[in-house]
Amino acid sequence: MVTSSQPVSRGPRLSATLKSPISSRDAPMPKVPTTAADPTAKIAFDDVDVYYGSHKALQDLSFTVRPNTIFGIIGPSNSGKTTLLKCINRTLDFVPGARIEGRVIVDGKDVARMRNVLPLRRRVGMVFPLPVGLPMSIYDNVAYAPRMAGLRNRVDLDQLVEKCLRQSALWDEVKDRMQMLGTKLSGGQQQRLTLARALSMRPEILCLDEFSIAIDPVTTMKIEDVLIELKNEITIVLVTNLVQQAHRLADDTAFLNNSRLVEVGPTERIFTKPEHQLTLDYVSGKFG
Amino acid sequence: MTEQHADTSVLFVSSRGNADADGSIERPYDSLDRALAAIQDQSERQNGDHVVPDLKIVCIERPGGKLRPVGPARYRFFIDPYQSGDAPDGSEAAPWKSLDQAARELAVLHRDGRLTLQPGEHLALARHKVFAATPIERKKKRTEWIAQSIFCVMAFSLVAPVVAILAYLTYQAWPALTAEFLFSNPVEMGRAGGIWAPLVGTFMLVLVTMLLATPIGVLAGVYLNEYAPDNWVTRIVNLAVVNLAGVPSIVHGLFGFGAFVMFAGIGKSVFAASCTLAVMTLPVIITSTREALASVPRNFREACWNMGATRWQTIRTVVLPNSISGMLTGVILQVSRAAGETAPILFTGAAIFLPVPESGWESFLPFGLDQPFMALSMHLFTVRTQIANVPESMQFATAVVLIGLVLAVNSASIAFRVYLRSRKKW
Repeated sequence: MVTSSQPVSRGPRLSATLKSPISSRDAPMPKVPTTAADPTAKIAFDDVDVYYGSHKALQDLSFTVRPNTIFGIIGPSNSGKTTLLKCINRTLDFVPGARIEGRVIVDGKDVARMRNVLPLRRRVGMVFPLPVGLPMSIYDNVAYAPRMAGLRNRVDLDQLVEKCLRQSALWDEVKDRMQMLGTKLSGGQQQRLTLARALSMRPEILCLDEFSIAIDPVTTMKIEDVLIELKNEITIVLVTNLVQQAHRLADDTAFLNNSRLVEVGPTERIFTKPEHQLTLDYVSGKFG
Repeated sequence: MTEQHADTSVLFVSSRGNADADGSIERPYDSLDRALAAIQDQSERQNGDHVVPDLKIVCIERPGGKLRPVGPARYRFFIDPYQSGDAPDGSEAAPWKSLDQAARELAVLHRDGRLTLQPGEHLALARHKVFAATPIERKKKRTEWIAQSIFCVMAFSLVAPVVAILAYLTYQAWPALTAEFLFSNPVEMGRAGGIWAPLVGTFMLVLVTMLLATPIGVLAGVYLNEYAPDNWVTRIVNLAVVNLAGVPSIVHGLFGFGAFVMFAGIGKSVFAASCTLAVMTLPVIITSTREALASVPRNFREACWNMGATRWQTIRTVVLPNSISGMLTGVILQVSRAAGETAPILFTGAAIFLPVPESGWESFLPFGLDQPFMALSMHLFTVRTQIANVPESMQFATAVVLIGLVLAVNSASIAFRVYLRSRKKW
């Protein structure tokens, strides 16, 4: 997060830029064409506002995610990235006092109108920044979601668990101790366990929220390879603090700042010829 | 050449010394210059030796004079081989790096006239103690020790009354404490016989109370902690729970009489008394259930919800297995409370004395659920205050059985909790 204690040599003071609404600083935001009607979009945000009590956490959010792509979301902390993910699988419901306006459309369906959200959560896998090993064995951790969804067949479960652990680059480390407690794994291993758990539901959409902050660079690279491979089957929304990670992986990138979407577009363009000075400053490491 | 005091070397200087000097008290150096030169000479010989001794240069009037330096040093300088600051001046903040440097700098100071020693004065050159505690640190450590001692004394002073009560009761009750006392029924209004009927009464009372209170309390606690939205209804329920916990037990007794005995028409009986006790124990069971549930990290729940598990699936598979020990502790502690209370059962079913058949199964199980009964706490009150000429030892023996029952239940709860804790998984 940028603080005012770091003076910047060139351009307007960034702290001022960050605090003020985008529109007063830059050219008025070109409204991203509402593509909610676009039947090819996997996820579409249509003018979404999110409030925590009276605090506005997201404002005027509109963008679409194409199927079978990696959609990168970058931005300083407290810019609303995690809130955005919680809108997609409606876990915002569990946050007391949270309120959402506008439409979030997943596979052509407004998530707010779903009467039963469980199919939605099954289709949207979620990995949060801090690893959470559930207090049960490694096997049970990965088999949890399928079991809760009614899968009982031992052979199928075994296959699924192995596949998910392989995909999350954890299989080789735990294959001989599947009955060990998931909570006893190291932080990085637990994070990969979390990823394996998210994959265990065979989701259509995988949301990763800064998944790599607890993982070493080598494992991160392994998982990044897996993500690129997974792209053939599923759509990935990748929130990351590592700008370069977004550059490496994402097909489209959105830049969020101060609860607003500053810019969204193909990653190459965002990183080379962004429309906004703020985006350029952020991706080139001048702040954030 | 030097006199050794453990780690401290002392050099002596006297204006009446002569050239044939080695720094000892008999043959002191004749000037500070010469002493410093000797130090420099010595430190050069043991080149690279980082062990810096504490050093004192004492000025004495004549050779063989006063032995020890008196009072604080006139000058105090420091050496620290690990000091990295530049422009050292020998002060504690900027110590010299080596003995060699110290000797040279001191010689310069002496030449400039800024360093002179009168007889009886001394100069101390000390190894800068990096890990020496500052006064504040010493005070912190002392305060810490005092706090710890007070807490420790308070904790152990709790044990004293328990031991005293148990010892006194057992001593007084010893003549009457027999297996026969335990297993025979009271006769002659409790003046003779044993304690079996009240024991059975208390046992039934507690059993029925817990059967009523545990499901309601635990399920209500689960709802309040896991499902209830944070709105005014929930807050009112919370307020009710807290206030219910604060109601005096005699008031519970009156309420039970009105609600269960009279209004519900159950009559004075084990069941009415159990209902009253259940109402009394509910708030604590609810509270302890909520606390046990709240001790399970929210992360676990969110992880499950994100995978499409419902709240109930999450509770069943993750939350309950990890909070059951805390819940059981709360429940079992209420067992002992229910066993010990007298006031709530006074109006709702406990009798001063009931004749019990001498033989047949009714002598083992004297009361039905719908009948008045005898209970240990009530029996103790009766034989102590209501009936004349009850042997003292029998009164105390009743108390011992009651307290023994409570302690046994508590011990079981502790053992069970230890067992469940050992299975806790994070």
